[in-house]
Amino acid sequence: MNRLRRYGPGAAVVAIPLGLALAGPFLAGEPSARAASFTLGGGHRLGTDFVGRDVVHQVLLGGRPVVLVALAATALAYLVALPLGLISALTHRRWLEEVLMRPPDVLLAVPSLLMILLVAAAFPPGPVGLALLVAFVSIPDAARIVRAAAAEAASRPAVEALRMQGESWWRIAVGYVGRSILRTLAADAGIRLTGVLYLVATAAFLGIGVAPDAADWAVMVDRNRTGLLIQPWAVVVPALLIVALTMGGNLLVDAALQHRTPPRKGRRP
Amino acid sequence: MKPPMEQPMNENPVLASVTALTVEVDGRALVDRVSLRIRPGTVTALVGASGSGKTTTGLALLGEYPAGARVTGEVTVHGTRIGYVPQHPAAVLNPARRTGALLHDMARRQVRDLPRPQRRTAARQRVTEALADAQLDASAGVLGRYPHQLSGGQQQRVVLAQALLLGARVIVADEPTTGQDALTKRRIVDQLAAVAARGIAVLLLSHDLDVVRELADEVLVMRGGRVVEQGPAHRILDGPTHPWTKELLAEPRTLPYADPGRTGEELLTVDGLTARHRTAGRRAPVLNVDRLTLRRGECLAVVGRSGSGKTTLARCLAGLHRDHTGQILLDGTALPRSLRDRSREQLAAVQYVFQDARAAFDEHRPVLDQVARTAVRLRGAGHREATEEARRTLTDLGLDDALVRRAPGGLSGGELQRAALARALLARPRVLVCDEITSGLDPVTRRSLLDLLATLIRRPGGPGVVLITHDLDTAAPATRLAVLDGGHIVEQGTREQILTAPRHPFTAALLAASRRWGAAVRP
Repeated sequence: MNRLRRYGPGAAVVAIPLGLALAGPFLAGEPSARAASFTLGGGHRLGTDFVGRDVVHQVLLGGRPVVLVALAATALAYLVALPLGLISALTHRRWLEEVLMRPPDVLLAVPSLLMILLVAAAFPPGPVGLALLVAFVSIPDAARIVRAAAAEAASRPAVEALRMQGESWWRIAVGYVGRSILRTLAADAGIRLTGVLYLVATAAFLGIGVAPDAADWAVMVDRNRTGLLIQPWAVVVPALLIVALTMGGNLLVDAALQHRTPPRKGRRP
Repeated sequence: MKPPMEQPMNENPVLASVTALTVEVDGRALVDRVSLRIRPGTVTALVGASGSGKTTTGLALLGEYPAGARVTGEVTVHGTRIGYVPQHPAAVLNPARRTGALLHDMARRQVRDLPRPQRRTAARQRVTEALADAQLDASAGVLGRYPHQLSGGQQQRVVLAQALLLGARVIVADEPTTGQDALTKRRIVDQLAAVAARGIAVLLLSHDLDVVRELADEVLVMRGGRVVEQGPAHRILDGPTHPWTKELLAEPRTLPYADPGRTGEELLTVDGLTARHRTAGRRAPVLNVDRLTLRRGECLAVVGRSGSGKTTLARCLAGLHRDHTGQILLDGTALPRSLRDRSREQLAAVQYVFQDARAAFDEHRPVLDQVARTAVRLRGAGHREATEEARRTLTDLGLDDALVRRAPGGLSGGELQRAALARALLARPRVLVCDEITSGLDPVTRRSLLDLLATLIRRPGGPGVVLITHDLDTAAPATRLAVLDGGHIVEQGTREQILTAPRHPFTAALLAASRRWGAAVRP
């Protein structure tokens, strides 16, 4: 009961886009014949898009690339950022910290979209390439957050006490510091997922990693913009799904992190 | 202590009163039917061990209760506000604003009714008055500084001035002297006395009985949420009737920690040590120790005020402070500077017990598991074997099995300090460095922890102990004392030498402050 109340809202919000993204392609079936662009009705429940395709069909197909690329990119970014941040927070060798944290700092100075455009111009990527690219530009931010949070935890007496006990680096870094910064990281991961979704969507918008007429929520939002006033569903539905995905993800993370807190104040006499 | 009945108490109006207050959390009474009256110009002291309900009672005056508390009884405040000066005053001061701005902001809000041209002068006037009441000298440049640039005592008085500005005539002072050295304590006591002399009522929450003796007019002794004894200060402190009060009032330990006949050869030697701290990019030396020796079976106390470098010394010994030159020798062999370079045997040989036991434990794991890890890592014991040994050691130190299976949050400060001691002992150390392990503990808990330490030292094969403390009462029973001031050892010798014939003026001042304190420092 309590669990339901805690995770219910987040799960409900995230279930729709995630369900559509994962199961959509199986439900979509064969595409129907093309109709006129930006029409409403005529057997198309959400109307047609800029090239006259059925919007429902496109929505069902368009979730998978966005969601998979965004999730993969976020996970990849943390896979690199976590060790980078933890090592540089726990070392007492300044040069090691410099070697680990300076290159991402340089990367941070280049606007991430510019970076994606530059690399994409040289090596046109597919979806996998796009995930790698977005992960790459997200590493500096994530690494800095990890390092800052870990540096605070690593300076606590508890870490010195663990060292005094001769604990291994692994136990200290993962068992204590990693665990202490979990809340910060989870909150950051929620935000980062949103940012990554934005990047993936923007890249799709610019035609990187996806064909310009691909079934992709982000591409849909962009391409159907022109008909927004005639046929809003082709923009509103995919946009709402993206919003629901990020918001639901944030709600879930928050719920998971929330400790059970009793009412803040007692009654006054 | 003030002369008894300085002011005719019954003619004084009551500023605030608490009647039959009971505060329960989860069916457990934190405060049980407590009643008290607060009159202007008097100091009422709530005395008791930590966890006895002092702070809960004090905060009840402000209308603050713990989360989820069930409250019965009555708290009445008559036409005044209540000010609260917490134990760590820095936590309630905005770090981004100068002290003057903090106070003027409050004053300005109170003079809104005046015509605009008069406001500035009126606000300044109020700040000046509040500063005078709080015993803060405005000419000392306090107003131009940020809270972190003030000493702990100054921060306390700024918080006090804020409360007074808001019109508080009752001040709740929560452990104002805990963790302070004798000279600082003396100053805080004088200031609180002056505040009371200006007609402000002070509710003193303290387990420091020397302070209570100096200040209080009325004393309430609390235990487990109940008031066990209550009355005028001189009657309670000079002729306690309740056994708990007697235990609280018992003299500090004077029996030596170590067996004087069992002192052996040199164990740990500090030779030509200079330690530095990096401040603002510069490495400034903070500690110089030519030579300091700990012998087998003895207890060496390092005494000094805060900032004298005693914690740095302890951390150098333990390998936690790496930035130093000179040598630390164990049995004649130099120890690596950093504990990361020390071998398992060297780590086990020199163990360090932290001042803040709570911060030194991982809050997520059960205490027993954390204690057992020492034996696993440093002595190569198996998991089960180590847990068994940890359990034995912890029981030995008075912590039962159910207690140590909890996470650190479920243990009191004194209990955690024992667990921290157990964690160090599982390494079977030859040198135990104890950094202020009793500061912040109430007298009863402190005494039992020190007795425990003495038992450890006196055991055959027990560790030599370096006891770092600011408290002369704690240091006095050590075999030898080293007095640290401004990063230098100004004097060292046996306890008889230091306590009866101090040669350095700083030692003499420290002794005098302690003597005046009424504490028993008998060689």
